[in-house]
Amino acid sequence: MDFYVSLLTLFGFRILLGLSAYVVILTGQISLAQAGFYALGAYSAGAATAIWGWPIAPAILLGAVVGGFFGFLVGFPALRVRGLFLVIATLAFTEIVRMVFLNLKYTIRVGDRTIGPAAGEGFRGITYYFEHGWSGLQIVGFTWLFVAAVLVALWLVDRSRAGAVLRAVGEDELAASSVGINLTTAKVSAMTVGGFVAGMAGALYAHYASYVSQEDFGVLLATFAIAYPLVGGTGSVLGPVAGVLFFSLLIDGLRFLGDWRNLLFGILIVAMMNLRPHGLIDVGLLRRLTLRARRARPASQA
Amino acid sequence: MKRSTRVALSTVLIAPLVAGLTWSQAAAQDRVIKIAGVGAMSGVVRTFGVNAKATLDMATDEINAVGGIKLKDGSRAKIVTTYVDERCNAEEGISVIRKLASEDWLVSIGPTCSNVAEPLFGILQRKAGDAGDSGLQFPIFTDTAIKPGLAKISEWSFRNVPHEPTMYNHLFKWLKEKNPDAKTVMIGVESDFAHSNANAGIMEAAAKAAGFEVLGQEKWLLNDTEFSTQVGKFRRAKPDIIGIAAHPFTTCGAVREMKRQGVKPKVLVGLTSSATLETMVGCGPEAEGMIIPTGFAPVTPEAKRVAKTVAEKYKGNVDLHSAAVYENIQVLKMVVETSGVEGKPTTVASDRRKIRDGLAQVKEFQGLLGKVQRTEDRESTKPYVFAQARNSDWAVLYDPR
Amino acid sequence: MSDLVLDVVQQALNGFLFGSSYALIGIGFTMIFGVMEKLNLAFGVTALGGAYAALLVFRLTHGPFLLVFLASVVAAGLIGLVVEVTCFRWMPRDYPLAALMATVGMLFFVEEIIVHATNGMPLAFPAPLGQLMFDVGPWLFRGDLGFMFLVSLGVMGGLWLLVYRTRLGLATRAVSQQPVAAQLCGIGLRRVNAAVFVLTGMVGGVAGALIGSAVGNLSPLLALPLTVKGLVTAVLGGLGSIPGAIVAGLLLGVVEYQALYFFGIGYRDMVTYLLLFAFLVFRPGGLFGSRAR
Repeated sequence: MDFYVSLLTLFGFRILLGLSAYVVILTGQISLAQAGFYALGAYSAGAATAIWGWPIAPAILLGAVVGGFFGFLVGFPALRVRGLFLVIATLAFTEIVRMVFLNLKYTIRVGDRTIGPAAGEGFRGITYYFEHGWSGLQIVGFTWLFVAAVLVALWLVDRSRAGAVLRAVGEDELAASSVGINLTTAKVSAMTVGGFVAGMAGALYAHYASYVSQEDFGVLLATFAIAYPLVGGTGSVLGPVAGVLFFSLLIDGLRFLGDWRNLLFGILIVAMMNLRPHGLIDVGLLRRLTLRARRARPASQA
Repeated sequence: MKRSTRVALSTVLIAPLVAGLTWSQAAAQDRVIKIAGVGAMSGVVRTFGVNAKATLDMATDEINAVGGIKLKDGSRAKIVTTYVDERCNAEEGISVIRKLASEDWLVSIGPTCSNVAEPLFGILQRKAGDAGDSGLQFPIFTDTAIKPGLAKISEWSFRNVPHEPTMYNHLFKWLKEKNPDAKTVMIGVESDFAHSNANAGIMEAAAKAAGFEVLGQEKWLLNDTEFSTQVGKFRRAKPDIIGIAAHPFTTCGAVREMKRQGVKPKVLVGLTSSATLETMVGCGPEAEGMIIPTGFAPVTPEAKRVAKTVAEKYKGNVDLHSAAVYENIQVLKMVVETSGVEGKPTTVASDRRKIRDGLAQVKEFQGLLGKVQRTEDRESTKPYVFAQARNSDWAVLYDPR
Repeated sequence: MSDLVLDVVQQALNGFLFGSSYALIGIGFTMIFGVMEKLNLAFGVTALGGAYAALLVFRLTHGPFLLVFLASVVAAGLIGLVVEVTCFRWMPRDYPLAALMATVGMLFFVEEIIVHATNGMPLAFPAPLGQLMFDVGPWLFRGDLGFMFLVSLGVMGGLWLLVYRTRLGLATRAVSQQPVAAQLCGIGLRRVNAAVFVLTGMVGGVAGALIGSAVGNLSPLLALPLTVKGLVTAVLGGLGSIPGAIVAGLLLGVVEYQALYFFGIGYRDMVTYLLLFAFLVFRPGGLFGSRAR
């Protein structure tokens, strides 16, 4: 039971990370900066509770705001670059953040323990949950409060005019700007929201893990961030959720295969992309589902 | 492909995954001691996990072959093991340990990587029995993760890894005696790897304590492949001793570049974790003469026997890391025998506590190289030897025991 | 001459020479993207896989380096074909992200095969020129890297001839510019695609074998850096431009080495990436790029 609770917590920040990349992908941008935002969120929220003694909720929000702020900053220069050029520019951002934390030293002594970012040795002692006697259920509930809020917010945005604007930019920039859509606003706000959500995910992760280190926030994490929506589908917020489920099942569900698990990991991604190139939950599937739902509704009312 | 075919194939792909998640081992028989190995079985550190698993299997088969562990009430319990992959990834390590803790495993041996050990110890209860602390109550007895000072994070964390400061202090003192005319030391370090980074600090302190002048540290990163800049600094400074705090891949790159630039220090010192087969496979000829203090070498009859059996029957290699797995199993056997562990499905929580308390009380045990002392903060002080690379193999240079 | 001048020149020389390894791997990335407009993140492991296959041949035969080198080229060509079939052939052409994601899966797969075959240990790779050093005045010059630089120029020349002077090259250009029209003219799309992937795979094999022997060791640790540095080089040079990739690779090398010398290791990559970021923002098409894609 404990294990499933912990797994559910893990899903929580993976989903947030996937959603952060999803928002950016909607505008047609592929960003590897999400790992950098995630790291910024993790370190700043970790410092808030472990060093400055903040309560947990404002600390998570701080992580999100820091992520969002850097998303905003990256958003402007990113306007000028597209496609693979943007991928590399955002990768550069993530690597820069990682290098900053490789050099950052800011520690305090608490009793016989050293707490805080200790350059190459990582950030130890983010133990707010355990110090305050939180149970696994409380942690998962707290995490999912944020996940649910973000899911609902993005779901609403997706169905609103704003969502249509973002998608229009993603489909065809030229057409979008010719009907009066402000590309700058659309892209920068997508990047800001992406940074905010990724920072929140990182903040939650840091408290779950109790220890973070720059080596956890590299290209690999950035790749997974975009893999969740790409494998899950970019048709709706359910896409990244499906993507997270797919990868988590690959990692934890295939454990009984022992050594074969890691070999199958890559193969299954290739197979999945061949079978469902637009993701597990693609636009076609969504359309069929809504149609079915609409057909079912009058019948049930009758 | 038709839509229906795609749907069918996707279902076939996903169904076993879901099944796998809910899959668990068949119900255990009533008296068993369940010990879970945790380590890296994938990625560049896979060799650590492979060796640890081989040694774990060897040690438990040996005990089970003579009837298992004798419990306090006279009945006998077999050891049941598993070996789980943590991929050297913090997130995955936490998930694995939580899974083991939620099942009926009594204790875990692992993990491989220090960056996994840190958060694992971090999520454990800090003080055993503290009702206000909701950390995990699950004993972990680490074999490999060697970065100094980790076990003090939690009272549930124990380690049996060589104590690097002691070994390097001794090594540099010994080097001073043997080479009285050697005066200067320079250190090369892969600075983005936590353990190497910590080790460089240890080497520097040890060299200073032994009366050497430390000329500085040259740094590179774990993934680097070219070292001309750093080695160029060595060439100009001409230190008598060069210490390389790096894992085999960059150690090999650095010593190759030293050969290329004609840098020949009087003594070359390496990182504990590089005193393994890996370095010899990677660059035996170039590493010739390198000295590393290590917690394992086949210098006692028992050590020879274990190394031989693991190599022949279990296709693994016993080195300073995997040797600890063998010792940990022996210690756990002793603790289980004396602390009243019952090994029943209903006594999992109390058995874990008994194992923890038992481990905390161990003051000394017989290791493969001799007596191992246990310290207050749940670490080991292990006997060690100085190994030297000779003809692409590790030979014992000096045995202080 | 002061030490500073000596060092800066030596660093520039080393950076330039080591940059040729970036150039060589960047050529492959730029080929696939520029000619086929496709993103292949598995190209780094294609090169690495070729090098490992070559090492296997070396261990079995202890043959001369030329044989080992050819083994790498052939093996990487085959891996290139496998990548084409599994990650591109059946993918929708109007949604490149699907193929991109599939190549990420392929990257993980090849890397993991290597890990399983070698337990992740670094393995010594034959380096016939490994200890070749020249003294040029007060400076040192690495022979094997100099050779690598010449090879990358040779590869560039060879590819130029191939693309502009052969029927295959003509067909390739036709397919990349007007796929439908090309098909109407009787050019087999599949055959051309497969041929390009095999060819770039072979370029990867050249890169893999030379990088392997310059590093002296093969390790799965190389997979990610090869991919990242190759991509950076291709993008910096302007996607699709082979001379661009070479210039970008050399430039990247020089910048890295100077940054290392002046700012230390903790800031080397930070400075390099900051410059890269700034460069892309001010010149979004790369060095030789005509337009942003």
